[in-house]
Amino acid sequence: MKVLIVDDEPLARVRMQRLLQNIPDTEIVGEAKNGKEALLSSSMRNPDIVLLDIRMPEMDGLETAFHLSQMKHPPAIIFTTAFSEHALAAFAASAVDYLLKPIRREHLEEALGKAQKINRAQLQELGKQEEAKRSRSHISAYMGGNLQLIPSENIYYFQAEQKYVSVRHSDGTLLIDDSLKSLEEEYGERFLRIHRNSLVALKYVEGLEKDAEGKCQIGFRGINDRLEISRRMVATTRQRLKKMGKA
Amino acid sequence: MIRNPHETNSAQTDDFFLPDFCNVRMVFAVVVISELLAIVLTLSPLRSSGDRWNDLSIISLFVQWVGLSSAGILCLARPRLARMKETHAAAISYLLLLLTTLVITEAAFMIGAYLQLENWSSNFLMLSHWQVDLLLRNLGISAIFSAIVLRFFYIQHQWEQNVRAEAQSRLQALQSRIRPHFLFNSLNTIASLTQINADQAEAAVENLADLFRNNLADASLHISLEDELKLTQRYLEIEKLRLGERLQLRWSVDDLPIDASVPRLILQPLLENAIYHGIEPISHGGTISIDGHMEKNILHISISNPLAQQENIEQRQGNKIAQDNIRQRLAAIYGESGKLHVQEDEKNYTITLLIPYQRSNPVTTREEKVHT
Repeated sequence: MKVLIVDDEPLARVRMQRLLQNIPDTEIVGEAKNGKEALLSSSMRNPDIVLLDIRMPEMDGLETAFHLSQMKHPPAIIFTTAFSEHALAAFAASAVDYLLKPIRREHLEEALGKAQKINRAQLQELGKQEEAKRSRSHISAYMGGNLQLIPSENIYYFQAEQKYVSVRHSDGTLLIDDSLKSLEEEYGERFLRIHRNSLVALKYVEGLEKDAEGKCQIGFRGINDRLEISRRMVATTRQRLKKMGKA
Repeated sequence: MIRNPHETNSAQTDDFFLPDFCNVRMVFAVVVISELLAIVLTLSPLRSSGDRWNDLSIISLFVQWVGLSSAGILCLARPRLARMKETHAAAISYLLLLLTTLVITEAAFMIGAYLQLENWSSNFLMLSHWQVDLLLRNLGISAIFSAIVLRFFYIQHQWEQNVRAEAQSRLQALQSRIRPHFLFNSLNTIASLTQINADQAEAAVENLADLFRNNLADASLHISLEDELKLTQRYLEIEKLRLGERLQLRWSVDDLPIDASVPRLILQPLLENAIYHGIEPISHGGTISIDGHMEKNILHISISNPLAQQENIEQRQGNKIAQDNIRQRLAAIYGESGKLHVQEDEKNYTITLLIPYQRSNPVTTREEKVHT
């Protein structure tokens, strides 16, 4: 069994290593100190099980679990936590395995024994309780087997194409599976729907302009892309931008 | 109002409903109340003898005399009364007040007789009738007035007790609570260290014990700033084991008077917040600065942490709860003069505590002392 240890505290990782050493048939294939490292390491080493701390910098355990579950062969996830009432409530509800620190060897052994792949329904259940008030810090996609992680603050806009949504970010474009509707729900505070097929980041909007045919467009700070605003949305867009002092 | 336990009198007399009449403030209160009564008595007759000022001076003289004598007697009797049952003590105080009135009326009468001997003796019978009348009237006034005053003291005392009990329980509820998050993470750290560095594990256990001893101690007992800073350091040593290089500290507290008395564990929750919100969410960590100085007899202690980029609403809320808690503790102890200010710019989040300087009592019991 290939195991990946994810924890931001070095001593917590050392302890986990020690515990695993005494459990037969386990092989530590890597360690990560935050969610981002965990994702990169997972996509390279394909662990069977990820021991995932919940409170971590950069990307926390719950979001990491979400991205891991999108992999082609997602690993089983066992959460580890010192104490977090909210998280515990979420776990109890979704029957995902979790361990309380300091972890006992027999508990770890038991959890490894029954480790199962986390499924979408469980994750959604988790998300309902723990992530109700927040949005993912990163957008992930697997391109040719490689994991791509885009910090959500680097995204200019989302645009729906036939089957996918393309994500325009500071380093290029990425295709993802998510629907524009769910993205709007997730990022409604920071992004604005300006057309049936596009969602733009308010912080990168430069202003409204009219093209040669008199159609309203949105311009961005930093890139030359222009996106059309649908006629129905012009008024609300103008209003929202005015509130931010941009129109 | 919370009083420092060192200021309160011995417990036995303190629970008694009668105030201490030997106290200068109480004597002054008696003078004022007596004078008010004298004014009422002067104003009340339908027909004056002609000169109300003259009436007032005579009545004042008499009432003050009764008032101050009663105060004196209650002052002397108080230690004995305090040992009785409350109802008995109240009845006896009441009788003492009536008796004082009686005796002083008698004495006033005799002095008057002595000063105006000729007039007095000439119509002795009429005089005796007047004397009885005066005695009864004075006793009547005293009976009603004493009852009101005693009742007032009783209610006042109960009210004070309630207020004190309420403040005490509120303070207990507000007592700094170390986050369970910290406890379990520390235990995990120690579990790890026992195998790789026994000395560090031992030190961590000692530090943790000190912290929790103080966390469990009575919140109303203050400690010296020196001890509080030591505790803070113990706490930070544990966090340093956990976070390693991610946690950097900058101390500049040399200008603070270390003999100042401060509420126990008033700094630790703020540092815990600073780490939870300012260090843990950042991969490379950051520096927490602790600065302090004294200005116009007020201690200014600030704790500053870097701002994390992403923090959700729920976490902010958690931060506010700890802050409100400290703010309420300061208000309960220092009233207006204890404050907590929050300052936020693009990079840093700074909390400043303002605590009035009070010298701490050097005597602390062994258990409470932070061992060096």
